[in-house]
Amino acid sequence: MSDIASWVSQMLIGCKLTIELFAITLIFSLPLGLILSFIRIARSPKGAISKAIYYCIEWIVSGFILIMRGTPLMLQIFFVYFGLPYLPVIGKYLTFDRFPAGAIAFVLNYGAYYAEIFRGGLLSVDKGQYEASKVLGLTPTQTKFRIVLPQMFRIALPSVANETIILLKDTALITAIGLSDLLKVTTNIVNRTTNISAFAVAAVFYLIFSYILTIIFQKLEKKFDF
Amino acid sequence: MSIIEVRNLKKSFGSLEVLKDISIDIEKGDIVAILGPSGSGKSTFLRSLIDLEEIDGGDICIEGKYLAKNGIYPSEKEKRKILSKTGMVFQHFNLFPHLNIKKNLMLAPLLAKQDSRENIAELAKETLEKVGLADKINAMPSTLSGGQKQRVAIARALMLRPDIVLFDEPTSALDPELTGEVLNVIRELAKEGNTMLIVTHEIGFASEVANKIIFMEDGYIQAVGTPNEVIINQTNERINAFLNKVK
Repeated sequence: MSDIASWVSQMLIGCKLTIELFAITLIFSLPLGLILSFIRIARSPKGAISKAIYYCIEWIVSGFILIMRGTPLMLQIFFVYFGLPYLPVIGKYLTFDRFPAGAIAFVLNYGAYYAEIFRGGLLSVDKGQYEASKVLGLTPTQTKFRIVLPQMFRIALPSVANETIILLKDTALITAIGLSDLLKVTTNIVNRTTNISAFAVAAVFYLIFSYILTIIFQKLEKKFDF
Repeated sequence: MSIIEVRNLKKSFGSLEVLKDISIDIEKGDIVAILGPSGSGKSTFLRSLIDLEEIDGGDICIEGKYLAKNGIYPSEKEKRKILSKTGMVFQHFNLFPHLNIKKNLMLAPLLAKQDSRENIAELAKETLEKVGLADKINAMPSTLSGGQKQRVAIARALMLRPDIVLFDEPTSALDPELTGEVLNVIRELAKEGNTMLIVTHEIGFASEVANKIIFMEDGYIQAVGTPNEVIINQTNERINAFLNKVK
């Protein structure tokens, strides 16, 4: 029994890293995703120059999402930590410690996924909502924040919940650049004690976190229901 | 001066010419019913009057100001100003589903800073009473029947005290037994001197409420006149064919 107590206290240290990475990723990737999704559904403006700028940005965003969804997250973590410093000229400014490097990769990767979830939500807001807003004299910005976003959130919420729980478990990938998260600490315990029970304890930790997330998202869904 | 003046309006969707050459004057206080077979351009015409469709040529002049001149529009801000006294009611209501009825009514006047919050709330109450839905003030749109939703949509359009109200097939999405309550509300409004344009398939209602009937077909206005001239005593073959179909 004292074994388990000592495991748990070690695992809690691992948990701290897991939770930090999870929280930072969530805080930055959700707004990033929102901005990217708005860019992707924006319609082409008039005027040659603004059109050229629009297509340029559109192309960059599409390319970014293709790369982020099309390559493994672990590869992206390696790339940010090991690869970026080798870039010519700007490389020396892009040298990060392990944790920031991992967090950057996570934020970019999840930003791309959230962007596509939000885009789906935005596309399913009825065209009539935009028309009603317009004839009532709302500006495009007012329409976006008062009418479209609240409806989009409700539509996107189940998928956001799903993706967020995946994120919680994906944080284990950070061990690839030598950081000790919950799973890494557990593996170390198993290797040292040659007793695999520690894995069961780790599973309980992950389940507790997932359960808390599930409850939070259920509450949010109820709040945004109409 | 007419409240709405339209000259040589043209509108195409790709290669399809929907409105070919529309010219019409609407006077203040006119109740106009726009009739015609589907695909005749009625809705497109109505929607172009409130900038939901961009026209390709011609003029639209609302209360003395050009919304479009030779198919060219002013800035977004200017357009919003010109249309600030024009309201619209849609076939599918388009209530904001995430806001309760009170907030649906209050949102636009609040954002436009039309008045103090208390006065706008008071106006919302009065306007809901007018459409007979005072008891639904805190309900969510999803709990209302189609007829009730449309009456709320009408109340919402009235909140901005419009001079002109456009109705795009206001009863077409309703079950037959619910059209009456909506038509009654429109009938009441007609008595108050608002200028109203109504695209409708309710011929009986049109000839009873409207003082002016526009009959459209193939992207042209084929006939304009009083209900007597256009519906009852007409000799136009196209109108006859249409009336026989809807009867």
